[in-house]
Amino acid sequence: MSAYTVSIVSIIGINVILAVSLNMISGFCGQISLGHGAFFGAGAYAAALVMVKTANVPLALLAALIAGSVLGIIVGFASLRVRSDFLAVTTIGVNFLFVGFVRKQSWLGGEMGISGIPPTGLGASGNMILILALACLTVALSLHVGRSWMGFAFRAVGEDEQAATTLGISTGAYKLAAFGIGTALAGLAGGLYAFFTQFITVDAFDFIFSVMLMAMVVIGGIGSTWGVVAAAIGLTLLPEAIRFVNDYRLLVFGGMLVLVIRLAPGGLASLIRNVFVRVKQA
Amino acid sequence: MYYIDLAVTGVSFGCMYAMMSVGLTLVYGLLRILHVAHAAVFALGAYATVLAANATGSIALGFVAALTVTPLFGMAIYRLLYEPLLSYRPDVPMIASVGLLVLMQDAFRIVFGEQGVTFRRNAFSFTTFDVAGVTISAVQIAIVVTAAIVFLGLHLFTTRTRIGVGWRATVSKPRIAASFGIDPIKVRYLNFAIGSALAAVAGGLVALLNNLVDPAIGFVVSYKALAIIVLGGLGSVRGTLLASLVLGLVEAYGTIFIGAWLDRDAIAFLALIILLMIRPQGFTGARAA
Amino acid sequence: MLTDRITPSALGTKALLGFASLILLGVVAAMPARADIKIGFQVPLTGPAATDGKSAQIAGEMAIEDINAAGGVLGQKLQLVTYDDQAKSDQAIFTANKLIGEDGVKLVVNGSYSASGRAAAPVFQKAGVVMIAAYGVHPDITRAGDYMFRLVHLGPPQGAATALYIGKMLGLKKISTITMDNDYGQATMDGFLEAAPKYGIEVLNKYSYSLKDRQFGSIVASVKRDNPDGVYATGYFFTGGPLVAQLRAAGITVPIVGSQAFDSEKFIEIAGPAAEGTYIIDSFDRDRKDEALQKFFTGFKERAGYAPEGVAAITYSAVKLMADGIKRANSAEPDKVRDALAATKDFPLLEGSMNGFNGLHEMIMPIHVNEIKDGKFKPAGEVGDLNAFAPPEK
Repeated sequence: MSAYTVSIVSIIGINVILAVSLNMISGFCGQISLGHGAFFGAGAYAAALVMVKTANVPLALLAALIAGSVLGIIVGFASLRVRSDFLAVTTIGVNFLFVGFVRKQSWLGGEMGISGIPPTGLGASGNMILILALACLTVALSLHVGRSWMGFAFRAVGEDEQAATTLGISTGAYKLAAFGIGTALAGLAGGLYAFFTQFITVDAFDFIFSVMLMAMVVIGGIGSTWGVVAAAIGLTLLPEAIRFVNDYRLLVFGGMLVLVIRLAPGGLASLIRNVFVRVKQA
Repeated sequence: MYYIDLAVTGVSFGCMYAMMSVGLTLVYGLLRILHVAHAAVFALGAYATVLAANATGSIALGFVAALTVTPLFGMAIYRLLYEPLLSYRPDVPMIASVGLLVLMQDAFRIVFGEQGVTFRRNAFSFTTFDVAGVTISAVQIAIVVTAAIVFLGLHLFTTRTRIGVGWRATVSKPRIAASFGIDPIKVRYLNFAIGSALAAVAGGLVALLNNLVDPAIGFVVSYKALAIIVLGGLGSVRGTLLASLVLGLVEAYGTIFIGAWLDRDAIAFLALIILLMIRPQGFTGARAA
Repeated sequence: MLTDRITPSALGTKALLGFASLILLGVVAAMPARADIKIGFQVPLTGPAATDGKSAQIAGEMAIEDINAAGGVLGQKLQLVTYDDQAKSDQAIFTANKLIGEDGVKLVVNGSYSASGRAAAPVFQKAGVVMIAAYGVHPDITRAGDYMFRLVHLGPPQGAATALYIGKMLGLKKISTITMDNDYGQATMDGFLEAAPKYGIEVLNKYSYSLKDRQFGSIVASVKRDNPDGVYATGYFFTGGPLVAQLRAAGITVPIVGSQAFDSEKFIEIAGPAAEGTYIIDSFDRDRKDEALQKFFTGFKERAGYAPEGVAAITYSAVKLMADGIKRANSAEPDKVRDALAATKDFPLLEGSMNGFNGLHEMIMPIHVNEIKDGKFKPAGEVGDLNAFAPPEK
């Protein structure tokens, strides 16, 4: 496998984890989060700092997970206070605060970022396998949650909070759970990213990246794990496959986001479901 | 003198933010949608002013062009993007709006170039006056004067004219207004048209202030506008004006001190988040979040 | 009798042979002599660095065309394999892997910002691919290894040269500094602050702003209060332009010195009459009576629609230098090209003659200063004391 293929598969894996974890928060539980990059970044920085100090891979991944979820639960508390679109604004704010804060802290590398992160010792291919394994676990987790009681509660909260409360579901607790799990996974992805690039700067975790992630979730189909996986793979490969898309990336992604919401708000997943339904009727 | 200089800066910024944010609060007040793409309208206004001024040689014509183009753009956004999505929960049109903003920013880059555009002949930007040791630029004066005229005009419009009163009524009590025969659809278009026109004026003034319009111009102000409309109380024009001035002054005085440990954009968001947590209904408490 | 007709005549044989050889010649000529030499090229075509990316791309393409028009190198044509790295580190690694793996490239010019150069350098070093960083200023780039070369002065040496220029050549003592807080702006300012005491400079106050800022009201008011002898600011033309305009508008009349990335016609356009009198350190001397430079100037202006600035000039020269390295090495093998490049002496860059590279493959060359007079860049001296701003050897 060429170095290029290994790096592309690695990035796909990381994006899958990010998109699926965002889907758990925003798709299952209906809490729109446009700042997922911040949790990704928190995990990356935590892992980077641990690796630089100790070069201990499991510890770094654990730190990444914890960093992501701690920040995530704090934001989760915000979701208890404000309504959905203001929650979205709050998450944008969190993203900006994260980036703005890290930029100025010299112990976090400031503008220069953290370079010279020690390698994991697994080599590029080994890293890729680790990423793929964790991506599969994430997808499995998402599918399991989706079918479990927790998933049902998430959906209830997401679709109609008031009705959920009358059903006796403690909406607050479930929102926090959704944020906690989703952001922990994002943090994990951040750790894997730090291993991959061995050099992180805060720009990789900005608002625009968060918008791209949301685009993956929306286009794949909010709430559908497989749809989101497909969208994550597709949207990561698209700029590589089509030069035009690479040069006009934001135009294409922004445009796709607008078109999908406007014409097929259920995303790819709903389109496919419709096809199946129509085929059955035939 | 130093502190007065900072005050002048703060007030002129505040006025500019106010003109930019009014459109946002108006849309929210009427439709409960966070019209994030308003920043793209603002950017379009800035570009239109510069390009038309360069083409015709007159800055005034530049503004006229901007005032013609942006209301159309704003109304189109409503018709093509928001109207069909009104039945969904509010975050759906908001995500679409974010997508549109991202798209437009890239479109500006592709069409007008990464370097941005500047006024070809512009003495206005560089004219300054020295008033007792305080330096005030002509553009800053223009901003404050324009804002005063605009807000006064808006006030008169909504209290003295039939259309204006009808508009105000629709925003606060849509059903009652409709029963009086006011067409809510026309009001919506008016809403977007006025909000967009104001953003265009703000955009043109920023273009004069910096003598540069680049693709990112919308982004930088958009976040602050979001913070402002929440701070001021959603849907309240008066609150927006007040919050804008406050933010302008806080930024002017605060950047020097806070700038050491936090990015400037982040300051606005920090204020926003703190406020949303403590008092979701903002300064004037017009509407709950 | 039958055989009589079949026997070819002497003339016929000659004609046939002539015809056959013509065909053979045509076929041989149509075949590519050998595969073109590929030069990898990373530029930020999208993202915050897109302005410089576009300039770099045009300059790089011009260089390739000029080289190929003159017959190529070692009888082969050069081919540019371009990728957009968005000035981001992960994209830089990505595109680097692509160049190495998919395109089989062995020689690369990085025409992007430091974030990209820093991330790509270790990847190329490990693969034994020669990389010339055209204008990325972070120290880590050359530290990645001996296949790395840098064709622009590092940030800290530029800052140190600025201190010399301001303190000794302009004779200004009390300075207010304004730093753009990204790695380029900070590294350059750090160099200045370290060297400033040597030339009797007292730094009154330090201010900073971000890449996105275009409004500097608070900083301007504070500088006015400082009442310095001069102002030194690091940044790009799209931040420097508004900054200088606003400083002058506030009534600040003392000399303003800007860093290398101010160096662009667009700066003069944005700052308007306020640009008058601004000094720009390590700005490229457009007045040099050099044919190649003037030809590049007119050619670039025609293609791009705007006049070239330092980024364009240095990227053009980087590609030219790579070709020259191949020529001197008499081979396109990276090891040999690396050694040839390391031995470069007095190579004519568009900006002037470069002395060579030091042990860390950092460029050695005096630093030219321009002043803006009558809306044009005019030479305003040179910092020739190479020791005062020598780049590190490690």
